[in-house]
Amino acid sequence: MSGVWNLIILNPVLNSLIALSTLLYDSFGLAIIFLTIVVRLAMWPLTKRQLNSTKAMQEMQPKIQEIQKKYGKNKQKLQEETMKLYKEAGINPMGCIWPMLIQFPIWIALYQSIMKALATTPENLLSLSQHLYSWQMVNEAIPLSSQFLWLNLGQPDQTMILALIVGGTMWVQQKMTTAPSMDPKQQSTSQMMTLMMPLMFGMFTLMFPSGLAIFWAASNIIGIVTQYFVTGGWGYLKWQNPLRPKETGQK
Amino acid sequence: MKKIIIVVIILISLSALILASCVPGSRQEPAKGWAGPAADNGIVYVGTVQGSIVAVNSSTRNLEWSYAITTTAPSSFLSCGQGSTSTTIYSTPVVDGDLVYVASYSGRVLALSSVAREEGLEFPQKRYGEWQWDCPSEGKESNAIVADLVISGDAIFLCSSNGRVYSLDKEFGDLNWESQKLTEKLWTAPAIQGDTVYVTTYDNKIQTLSVNNGDLLSWTYESESGFASQPEIYEDIVLIGSFDKNMYAIKIGDVEPLWSFLGENWFWSAPVAYEGIIYAGCLDNQVYAIEASTGKKLWQFDTGSPVVSSPVLMDNLLIVANESGDVYVFDVSNRLVKTEVVPLKTISIETTVLGPLSVSGNMVYIRAQNNSLYALDIERGGLDWKLPLTVEE
Repeated sequence: MSGVWNLIILNPVLNSLIALSTLLYDSFGLAIIFLTIVVRLAMWPLTKRQLNSTKAMQEMQPKIQEIQKKYGKNKQKLQEETMKLYKEAGINPMGCIWPMLIQFPIWIALYQSIMKALATTPENLLSLSQHLYSWQMVNEAIPLSSQFLWLNLGQPDQTMILALIVGGTMWVQQKMTTAPSMDPKQQSTSQMMTLMMPLMFGMFTLMFPSGLAIFWAASNIIGIVTQYFVTGGWGYLKWQNPLRPKETGQK
Repeated sequence: MKKIIIVVIILISLSALILASCVPGSRQEPAKGWAGPAADNGIVYVGTVQGSIVAVNSSTRNLEWSYAITTTAPSSFLSCGQGSTSTTIYSTPVVDGDLVYVASYSGRVLALSSVAREEGLEFPQKRYGEWQWDCPSEGKESNAIVADLVISGDAIFLCSSNGRVYSLDKEFGDLNWESQKLTEKLWTAPAIQGDTVYVTTYDNKIQTLSVNNGDLLSWTYESESGFASQPEIYEDIVLIGSFDKNMYAIKIGDVEPLWSFLGENWFWSAPVAYEGIIYAGCLDNQVYAIEASTGKKLWQFDTGSPVVSSPVLMDNLLIVANESGDVYVFDVSNRLVKTEVVPLKTISIETTVLGPLSVSGNMVYIRAQNNSLYALDIERGGLDWKLPLTVEE
């Protein structure tokens, strides 16, 4: 199983990453960013589908709540009616999950490639030999330099800068796509999610090699840029001046 | 909606776990070390996976003494301050008289006295000649020592992961000299010939330094690719494996290689030379016999798995171990070009072998990655004994 995985997914990604670093002035950091851009662009159709499904699901929430009120005690009827509603609207309720699941192997391959290519221990450098193609530019690039800006890409960044970038960009991206809900319960849950995810990834940044955090940060920034241009503007992200009083609607 | 959110949170947590550990190859393999054994006067000295040096009596198989090399673990995120922890050993011990010299991945070089260790005295016992030296590092650079120590005259030479070469006084452990930073990291051992230290770097160079003061000498060789193996000097030729899958023979002082020999993977370990023939193990599973003067292949043998350890010689026998733990013995008394090579003997220890082999008399000692010491009787063609190296501290 691992042989097939290596042959079809890991080795192509790993060798592309190393070859890219040769082309990009021997900078492995730039290679990670460039490959992230390529992968994000290649997966844009899936990402767009995921965004559309999530948006449609959110828009349907008032109707679903109506059904819940009506058939709350009859679980079977509730399920039937909900599915009917989804069918009428042409929505697959799992539509927002599948694109995400399909993307997982790619992210894992990218993660593995970054870890393998950096070869921070002698064992890793030795095992790298079994994954490389006979491309001249790959052989000439080995072993890669792990220095990029202030970072050692094989070690976590303890300065908090990268953690703030990863967490901050993820928060912005989520805010852009999360529609406000009329239901206060749902609103508080989605607010919690918008806060929890950036916090979690910010924490991962302090635990995982910074090469991976570069990939997360790049991925978030590309997500923000593509969403800004494709879905038009900042979406649901509203900049509020904390000094300006909230509008109450009373004059 | 709440259910979907819970599913999403679970998926994120699972993905983090997968990234961290579950998928094979997804995490960096921890440094385990591959220190080889050193046999001297009936005692085999070897570094264990737990970071201890042990002395084993080869006749009785008794543990004569052991010493755990500890290091101070730096405080990091989610850790509570500093603590003492064991280290990893890649460097094969070097025995010189009563002292055993060893270097650790934590950047420490130690001179251990067999007498003091047998008596279980506190380390270091200066009256027995014991000392320790910590390799310096600047900022975030690593001071790990991966390469073997080399003793020449009254000095010990070592390469550090901080990219510098050091010379220490063998008797007191004082620093003789420190070279300038040659590269990002040095993981291969230096070679000494005459007054020159030869160092190969991952950034494509062979550098030469003065044995006396560490100053850079005029001859430098530059290649297109980095060098994977430590240099081996045979007569006036530097033999070296490269990441471009070639074994290069470079005449000292020349700017072009005398010859190059292309394998199908890296020549990771240093070759051995015997009567004009170079024997090189390659990560493409092969052992190659190459004519030293021309680079012409005389024969090759497929061992079935990568050859990580350097081949060793026992009189006119060539002994090669592959990663799977198969040990092949070849008769190299004649230098014929062969189309089919049949090993004299094959011994399998059925476990991973990455470290160097040690020859003493008619025995070959191997420390395998399962943290056991194997003694092979080459004359008999079989395993003589095996000893697990787990030591209760």
